[in-house]
Amino acid sequence: MALKQKFDAGKFVILAEMEPPKGVDGSAMVSHAKRVKERVDAFFIPEMNHAVMRMSALGGAMLLQREGMETIMQICCRDRNRLALQGDLLAAGACGVANIAVVDGEDPSYGDHHQARPVHDINTLELLNAIQGLKEGRDLAGVEITGSPAFLAGSTTHAGARGRSTELELEEIERRSEAGARFFVTPPVFDPELIRPFLQRMDSRRTILIPTVLLLKSLGMARYMERNMPHIFLPPAIIERIQRAPDKVRECVRIAIELVSALKAQGVKAVMLSTLGWEHKLADIVEAL
Amino acid sequence: MIVAAKKPIEEIIEQVKGLRSVLVLGCNECVTVCEAGGKKEVGVLASALRMYFLQQGREVNVGEHTLERQCDTEYLEEIRNNIDAYEAVVSLACGVGIQFTAERYPSKPVYPGVNTCFMGAALERGVWAERCQGCGSCILASTGAVCPVTRCAKRLLNGPCGGSTAGKCEISKDVDCAWQLIVDRLKTLGRLEDYETLCPVKDWSTDRAGGPRKVIREDLRS
Repeated sequence: MALKQKFDAGKFVILAEMEPPKGVDGSAMVSHAKRVKERVDAFFIPEMNHAVMRMSALGGAMLLQREGMETIMQICCRDRNRLALQGDLLAAGACGVANIAVVDGEDPSYGDHHQARPVHDINTLELLNAIQGLKEGRDLAGVEITGSPAFLAGSTTHAGARGRSTELELEEIERRSEAGARFFVTPPVFDPELIRPFLQRMDSRRTILIPTVLLLKSLGMARYMERNMPHIFLPPAIIERIQRAPDKVRECVRIAIELVSALKAQGVKAVMLSTLGWEHKLADIVEAL
Repeated sequence: MIVAAKKPIEEIIEQVKGLRSVLVLGCNECVTVCEAGGKKEVGVLASALRMYFLQQGREVNVGEHTLERQCDTEYLEEIRNNIDAYEAVVSLACGVGIQFTAERYPSKPVYPGVNTCFMGAALERGVWAERCQGCGSCILASTGAVCPVTRCAKRLLNGPCGGSTAGKCEISKDVDCAWQLIVDRLKTLGRLEDYETLCPVKDWSTDRAGGPRKVIREDLRS
């Protein structure tokens, strides 16, 4: 059953983030994905996360799709103008990518090519509209295309992030939903209570909230996030728990598993597991779910 | 200078048609030189607005004032005592002046009366052309003082593209190929060997890549 049908049927969906390689050797990416493919519904392929140059999301998606694994290809507005974005969307559609997640993309100053000039010819909302147009058979210039893609489109939301207005986020979700977005991926969530207001007010038949469950790797990482990422709420109890644990890595895996269970119990219809380079740990999480 | 072009009167009317009073605010600097927003243009726009309101049978107080500069808080203080007599301001300054006026008077709506176009110069009366994009890292020393960032449609830094024909750019036969200009100029200066030197991949972080920019001179700060 394809991802869209699973969403339609209201099934609980597990996504796993799978970053493409920085190079042409995709063997590790493919083998990590293969190891968990029976328990993961689709792999989320980021488009040069944090503006770090690596294989494109389209290339990464292809590596998994040709092995029979479904993907959500992220596409960002930072690196391409409207011609290139639409061209790559057509390429993705023709190559069998069925799901697209649209973001604006972080500024190049975050990444490893900080002298690069960002494009931002169009933004997330406009790109969602462009996807809608392609699905209906026309490009952004209004020209008819030959064969339309049947994408399931989605985007991101700051639901659950600290310092954000719930009302404004819900309004943004609505705007993007009207532009064709069906699913919304959140930043890492460590306290399921923070997304409760969204679950209560979003119609899950129309818009699907996908909290990100980030696998913490160490006490240092948890502390760093707590100090330097003010939009992410990391409860002190989690930090203390890692601090006290004799096997910190195992504890971090346990925390991720418990978070997925708690989110599921709260009525969430999908989660995205993000392991940031520790994809070999994905199996430990998904096999326990 | 910053070159601006007058906005169509219909667009300005659309912004101000519901007001009971409006101040048309000009600027004596760049927009005066390029004849888009100086004292003369303030008078013309104010008269056009008065005629419009008269035709609509409405009594609207249209004020006129031109500041020495709108990009300077000192000069913006000049209207502090009479700005409250107006519901809103139509600023004929460049985008900088419009925003600075709005920042200085936070509760006053400020509408743009011009389209700010570029940094350029007058080629002849009534014709202005772009010469600088403010990329923050000037390379004119190596290009014979002809800017490829501004004058090449593709911002190419190492010679022309394949679309350069008979010294003209592929986008229009009315546009000079920047690299033709650069080569001609280097020849004149006897420095054609500069053309052989490869320009490294440009650092765009001093352009807009790093977000809105600031220049800070610690030696001048009080």
